[in-house]
Amino acid sequence: MLSPERLALPDYEYLAQRHVLTYMEDAVCQLLENKEDISQYGIARFFTEYFNSVCQGTHILFREFSFIQATPHNRASFLRAFWRCFRTVGKNGDLLTMREYHCLLQLLCPDFPLELTQKAARIVLMDDAMDCLMSFSDFLLAFQIQFYYSEFLESVAAIYQDLLSGKNPNTVIVPTSSSGQHRQRPALGEASTLEGVEASLFCQCLENLCDRHKYSCPPPALVKEALSDVQRLTFCGFLVALSKHNGINQALGALPDKGDLMHDPAMDAELERLVVRSRLHRTSRQHRAEEPGAFGFQRRDKPEAPETVPSASAPTPCLYRWEPRE
Amino acid sequence: MDFQAEVNCGLHLVIQTSSLPEKNKVEFRLNKETSSFPGRLLQHDLERNYSSRQGDHINLVSSSMPSFPILQRSSEEKILYSDRLTLERQKLTVCPIIDGEEHLRLLNFQHNFITRIQNISNLQRLIFLDLYDNQIEEISGLSTLRSLRVLLLGKNRIKKISNLENLKSLDVLDLHGNQITKIENVNHLCDLRVLNLARNLLSHVDNLNGLDSLTELNLRHNQITFVRDVDNLPCLQRLFLSFNNISTFESVCCLADSTSLSDITFDGNPIAQESWYKHTILQNMMQLRQLDMKRITEEERRMASVVAKKEEEKKRESHKQSLLKEKKRLIINNVARKWDLQQNRITNIATNQERKDSDSQDNSQNDGGTMSAFPEETGSLDSGLTSALQGLSVTDTHLVEVDGDTLSLYGSGALECLDRNWSVQTAGMVTTVSFTFIEFDEIVQVLPKLKIKFPNSLHLKFKETNLVMLQQFNALAQLRRVDQLTVDPQGNPVVNFTLWKYYVLFRLSHFSMQKINGTEVTQNDMIMAERLFGILAHVASSELPQYRLISILGDARKKQFRYLLETKGKKPGIVNEENNDSKRLVGENTNRATLNYTTRDFYNEKLEEIKEKKKFCKTYIEDLVKEATEINMKNEALQKLWPQMFIELVRDAVIEIRNKNSYMKICLQQITDQK
Repeated sequence: MLSPERLALPDYEYLAQRHVLTYMEDAVCQLLENKEDISQYGIARFFTEYFNSVCQGTHILFREFSFIQATPHNRASFLRAFWRCFRTVGKNGDLLTMREYHCLLQLLCPDFPLELTQKAARIVLMDDAMDCLMSFSDFLLAFQIQFYYSEFLESVAAIYQDLLSGKNPNTVIVPTSSSGQHRQRPALGEASTLEGVEASLFCQCLENLCDRHKYSCPPPALVKEALSDVQRLTFCGFLVALSKHNGINQALGALPDKGDLMHDPAMDAELERLVVRSRLHRTSRQHRAEEPGAFGFQRRDKPEAPETVPSASAPTPCLYRWEPRE
Repeated sequence: MDFQAEVNCGLHLVIQTSSLPEKNKVEFRLNKETSSFPGRLLQHDLERNYSSRQGDHINLVSSSMPSFPILQRSSEEKILYSDRLTLERQKLTVCPIIDGEEHLRLLNFQHNFITRIQNISNLQRLIFLDLYDNQIEEISGLSTLRSLRVLLLGKNRIKKISNLENLKSLDVLDLHGNQITKIENVNHLCDLRVLNLARNLLSHVDNLNGLDSLTELNLRHNQITFVRDVDNLPCLQRLFLSFNNISTFESVCCLADSTSLSDITFDGNPIAQESWYKHTILQNMMQLRQLDMKRITEEERRMASVVAKKEEEKKRESHKQSLLKEKKRLIINNVARKWDLQQNRITNIATNQERKDSDSQDNSQNDGGTMSAFPEETGSLDSGLTSALQGLSVTDTHLVEVDGDTLSLYGSGALECLDRNWSVQTAGMVTTVSFTFIEFDEIVQVLPKLKIKFPNSLHLKFKETNLVMLQQFNALAQLRRVDQLTVDPQGNPVVNFTLWKYYVLFRLSHFSMQKINGTEVTQNDMIMAERLFGILAHVASSELPQYRLISILGDARKKQFRYLLETKGKKPGIVNEENNDSKRLVGENTNRATLNYTTRDFYNEKLEEIKEKKKFCKTYIEDLVKEATEINMKNEALQKLWPQMFIELVRDAVIEIRNKNSYMKICLQQITDQK
């Protein structure tokens, strides 16, 4: 935090780099919008709450897409929120289509654009039919890469196209000499017989890109590591490698490791409490004998039916307590 | 005599005789050369038969014509029965030549085998001719019998009515039991009173004009399907149509116009089997006194008119209904087409749609809670309906229909009907509301009105309403109660999502819905829904900062939430608990309340509005930042310069007080200067 390089930047740039201005502007905007309500309990409290929520990552809930996209922290928070809210869907084992995931995204952000979800789906499905089913973890990891690094990926795509068509973005064209000076790649025919581009060259370009890119990029070392064991790769392959690389996931910091994606004990406990409560709420009504899958529609992947009995731990005291109150 | 039985109708025969004698004294003399005659008649047969029956002797004498027998009677006979001659059952195959009987008035040829009417042209005084039960194939040979009044040709083989031109005095014409297929060539018989065409092959009745005296028309046992021209018979009193093929009243409708008819029979026709037969006939033929040989009582007549009125009503009613149905169908088609256009084209179609307003809406509106949907003025309504139907151009864009407990809305224009004044009874009966061809976003906007106007609506149906996002179901939470939800896959892509039902159950859990798309909701389903989305609710309520909660929920919930927040104990889970108070106030699980749906248009509008504010904020912050950076800069500059400045300050001070004396003087000077 108190590193000297912090002070090396001029003011605006420093603020811009940390996106402080974005949050300030947004805070003031929110204040303006909800003047009447907020004035009742104090502006100081409002700012406290606001920045607390920014720290906790809950500030992006139900906000418009332009805000969510504005800073990397927002993006990471959004990813985390999405994971937390819909992890249960994934845990259930349901495989959903791209559109369904998009629907879920829209529950948290009403104007989330479809293109992003489509691009994310393309990573998972490798350009196959877009109506294929995807598992929650696959989608989430791919979506993370696509959403968090979207600008970076665009530039990479451009680079990839260039490489594919034989142009090397690293070439410096010296105008004085004739054709021999250009370090041209061999004829296109040769490139097209082999898929994708050469991995090492690609990595080099990426490194250059990361240096001059002002958007967030994955750490170049990790990228190199991800691509270390392939000779050639396509763009899709690159994306898939990124999404599956655990190190990059950790570097991002939004989601737990792939293996732990379904685990969230705190939330699970909370969920049990909710379920119990809803069950009690309905015991007064008459029900038929329980029939699994009563809706009759196809569940694509039926897991073991989660029929856990609520544990006789912390929740029960509060049950006993509020019943007599009624 | 036989012929009298045939004409049992009060006919006044001119022939005034005392009862005819049983026996006729007639003589036949047969030409001995009749062996060349196509061997059908032998004298001894004749004599034998005749004498066995009647005991008269007939003499048939030879004539100049080789094939015809000649008839001669004894003079006593001639004088006694000068005007009549009976030749029945004589096994005659031809008409014999009758000589010297020119003043004969009555001629009876019953029960013979005569094939042609011949040799009677000279009997020009003939009034009564009976050829019943012969084998005559054609009416002919009667052209001189201008006085003929009764012509009995029953039970022959006549195929066509013809050659009656000169028989203008004909009173009775009996052609029953023949093979006649068509009524023709009788139009000149203006004195004819009885016409018997029973047991023929008639398929229809017409061409009866000219029979101005006809009183009785017997058409039993034919194949008649329709009757015409009867109203042109001014004297017709009795019409027998038994055992024909009449099945509708329309086929005999001309009878209604005949004022003289008093007696009619229809038994043995298909029409007589119909339930409406009696009262239709009675109602349409008020002049009748007997139907099917039974007298019509006043009671029957009254019943008939009552029933007929009811039928009329029913028919009118069903006509109206079918008109209305047709109209509805047209409108719905129109709305569907418009909807399709709308869906296929991204740009909005200009809203210059004409609306057939009062006609379509008022005729469909239910007022007063009656099952039928029409006001009582029938005549104007009929014309109104037909004109509306005709005027129903393809621009009719919406339809509102109330059918007992279902309110159906087609087309977005139909949503305006919620602004109308509905009678409490009608509105209270509505339990199902069905939306078709309307954008869901538009429906969302009228849901509050729906809640107020139709408080008992428990079942919502959506078809072709463009439900694409799960989020849109959030909008239904504002209703008071929904028991059943039906979302038709047609036009609602959201149904393709695996989890849509669970989401609905989760979001609308406070409704305790019973059925979704016709399937019962079980405990398991509810639990699954909670499991899938419970965390979302938890996050949406407990993790949002307070100001956001309040701004999302709006004023109505403010008090609610403040109350809850006060009781928000150490356990964050309890804030979501059911609290009777909270339920009464809000009616739903408050942890879901933040999951709202704003229609896309509103959302974009809001974002637009915010843009101004954002711009202002940006400039404001920029100003602040500028200030801050300036201050910062100054601060940093100061930091840099301060050591130097401090040294200078110290140096200046030290230099100043180096010389104590001069310093004291300067200070004093300063003090005096200040005064």
